[in-house]
Amino acid sequence: MAREPFPQLEKFRADLERCTKCGFCMSSCPIYQEERLESSVARGKIMLIRELLAGNLSLSNGMADKLNRCTLCRTCAQNCPAQTEVPAVITAARADKVAKKGLSFPYSFIFRWLLPRRRLFGRTVRLFSWLERLLFPRASGTLRHLPFFLTALGKGRHIPQVAPEFLRESVPEVSPPPQGVPVRYTVGYFSGCMTDFVFPGLGKKIISFLNRQGVTVILPESQGCCGAPVFLGAGDLATGRRLADANARAFEGLDYVITDCATCASAMKDYPRFLADTKEREESYRSFAMKIRDITEFLVDIMKLPPEAFRASPEFHGKTVTWHEPCHLGRYLGVKEQPRRILKALKDIKYVEMPEADRCCGMAGTFSIHFYELSRKIAAKKVAAITATGADIVVTGCPGCQVQLADSLALQGSNTRVMHIMELLE
Amino acid sequence: MIEKPIIDELCRIAGRENVLTAKEELTAYSYDATNLWRHLPDAVVLPHTSEEVARILRLASEKRIPLTPRGGGTNVSGGSIPVRGGIVLVTTRMNRIIEVNRTNLSATVEPGVVLQDFQAALAREGLFFPPDPQSFAGCTMGGVVAENSGGPSCLKYGVTKQYVLGLEVVTADGRILKLGGVTPKNRTGYELMMLFVGSEGTLGVITKINLRVLPAPKASQTIVAVFGDVATAGETVTDIIASSILPAKVEFVDNWTFDKFRGLLPDSSLKRAQGILLIQVDGLPETVAAEAKEVVRLCQRRASEVRVAQDKAEADRYWQARKAHFSDISSRAPTIVNEDVCVPREHIAEFIRLSQERARYYDVPLSFAGHVGDGNFHPVVLTDSRNREHYTRAVKCVEEIIDIALSLGGVLSGEHGIGLEKQRFLKKAMDPAAIELMKKIKDVLDPHHILNPGKIWED
Repeated sequence: MAREPFPQLEKFRADLERCTKCGFCMSSCPIYQEERLESSVARGKIMLIRELLAGNLSLSNGMADKLNRCTLCRTCAQNCPAQTEVPAVITAARADKVAKKGLSFPYSFIFRWLLPRRRLFGRTVRLFSWLERLLFPRASGTLRHLPFFLTALGKGRHIPQVAPEFLRESVPEVSPPPQGVPVRYTVGYFSGCMTDFVFPGLGKKIISFLNRQGVTVILPESQGCCGAPVFLGAGDLATGRRLADANARAFEGLDYVITDCATCASAMKDYPRFLADTKEREESYRSFAMKIRDITEFLVDIMKLPPEAFRASPEFHGKTVTWHEPCHLGRYLGVKEQPRRILKALKDIKYVEMPEADRCCGMAGTFSIHFYELSRKIAAKKVAAITATGADIVVTGCPGCQVQLADSLALQGSNTRVMHIMELLE
Repeated sequence: MIEKPIIDELCRIAGRENVLTAKEELTAYSYDATNLWRHLPDAVVLPHTSEEVARILRLASEKRIPLTPRGGGTNVSGGSIPVRGGIVLVTTRMNRIIEVNRTNLSATVEPGVVLQDFQAALAREGLFFPPDPQSFAGCTMGGVVAENSGGPSCLKYGVTKQYVLGLEVVTADGRILKLGGVTPKNRTGYELMMLFVGSEGTLGVITKINLRVLPAPKASQTIVAVFGDVATAGETVTDIIASSILPAKVEFVDNWTFDKFRGLLPDSSLKRAQGILLIQVDGLPETVAAEAKEVVRLCQRRASEVRVAQDKAEADRYWQARKAHFSDISSRAPTIVNEDVCVPREHIAEFIRLSQERARYYDVPLSFAGHVGDGNFHPVVLTDSRNREHYTRAVKCVEEIIDIALSLGGVLSGEHGIGLEKQRFLKKAMDPAAIELMKKIKDVLDPHHILNPGKIWED
């Protein structure tokens, strides 16, 4: 078999060769824990990719399936004594696969065409939310059993309703602090798709919290999807670049870009590594990446807010709260202490650390669409950990995790509420 | 190639979802943690019960299909590589911890339980299982028994064979044998169970394991000592052992992997140093304090820097650095030749000196690390198998290091086993009559030689 070129994988050849197959990645891999197959785990995937490059394996459907069976949770890389950046290798392999084989429908349509067009994307979401209201009866609370607009995404998931009014429709592009509060910072707010379309209340809460702390919040109209499902999930680098360029431009001239979504934040920090194909892009992506801060990181590390600045909203007083650490927040951005500092500062709630709080919830975006059953099994372990704490509320730092946790808890009949950490605050 | 009717039969036995034949799946079972050996199996089967294992073995025996048992596949001997093709029988889906019994101080597990998961389950009960091979995060209990695994803690606590109370084993003809039990003493007939401990998958497939476990030590203390040369570190080990203190672990790494200790120890002392000893004493808090003090005093005689970890977090950082050694050294050269000799403790320093002298003679980089407290070394020669001339010198050097160990009364393999990696040395490391006897035992238990063929001795 003639050797095919794999341009993206070539960039990570050093990582590919670093693996010594020692097996440190095995017991903590969420996929391996469920499947118990060598091809599930980092070591096996690395070997398959080496064989792909050597021309001994081809990009068969089976091989693509193996590459897709990874939540990119980065636990393997964290445990790797050789510091092999396995998620980067897998991402590169997916990109090479898409370059050769293309994306299948409906992903090709959604990723290439819909996601880069924020306005149209919003309207499509709205259209589907009307359809969903016509076709399905309203369920109690904010959770409903409905097929979400991304066709295959539903599969019987309990997912949140699309909001009647999107964030960008309900707040101005510039939100200054209230009268009498001096301006300490001016920051850009990257509101990911989930906050914009599904959790606009979270976005409003963040803006008003920041305003009261003396922060002017700018929500640029021209920002778009972070691109995580496009270039990290599906390996579509070309569309990824269009999104990255738009976002980098939208926040030009600002010192900080805050996010409430760990996945968006880490994806945007990954622009230089995966998407920079020219010197200009490299520079633009790098300077953009340096501005990005998770909201908790900004409040604790940059603003250095004292513990008294954080108060739980009265409706949550007396509640027991636990923290789920998103993979993208802890293992990608290294934000581990900041959210816990905030939770510990809240006097009127009881904060309990859950066992293995940093374990992947199994969402991983499109992963959970491709492998819903597997995703559910991974989530079941997370649910058990949450239940073990006896918490009334589980908070996290990633709307993606929120969807997964809410779905999994509901499936198991739990009454534990799922919220973003910022929603707890007054 | 295995014919389709046989694959169909495997599917009937284990279920279609537990039989793999796709090229990418087979590829994932063509290697272990060694770097030169590779061979594709024709099929992979992942049974869930002893009965399924028995039916698979009966089928393989009838059809004379080579069958290689495999757990996590983290071994470093080539032992789980299906060099004759055929079936790889993977035990990772037989992964129930059946019982942890605090009153009996025993535990019963299936072979596919990962050692780290087993340790976690024991820790919840205040218990522990001492063998701690570096592959703990991936290796499975069946492999731990079949390789008679060791690790750092074996200095004080002994190796796996000292903890096996009972086994369920399926022989090549598909008989399910129950050997031993759960009691710490058992004098019933021959110690047949011990035949399978360290058998490297050549005599049967282990399907259930009863283990002796211990109460976890109440306290421990970690001491780090930095030495100006490798041999004085060796002498310090001899001093410690001779002082009637038995630490749980005495580990050694040389300056090839000091990178992992940067930030943990001052650069100034690492700069001049050649070796680091990591020592852990454990037991009751009072004993630990007294022993740690004595170990520090003994180290200070020769060490340039001695530190006692102030808390568990600091101790963990040192042990993490130690655990990273193998990967670190493996990444330093395209090919590494990793040995596993064990020498009597009185000869530790002499072994190091003689080995270093051979490395200088052959002009090849040699790194030492290992469980020096029990005389078990992992000398690593760094080379590149694509450079024939260098590689030949490296291999010669390794052979002579093995000769040195044997001449000092040591053994060829302390804990990795023979597998493929060391089979060419077996003849000089073992009594020929004993090799003959092993072969006869093999003939009795596996007359058609289907089980892990091509391993331990050269045909």
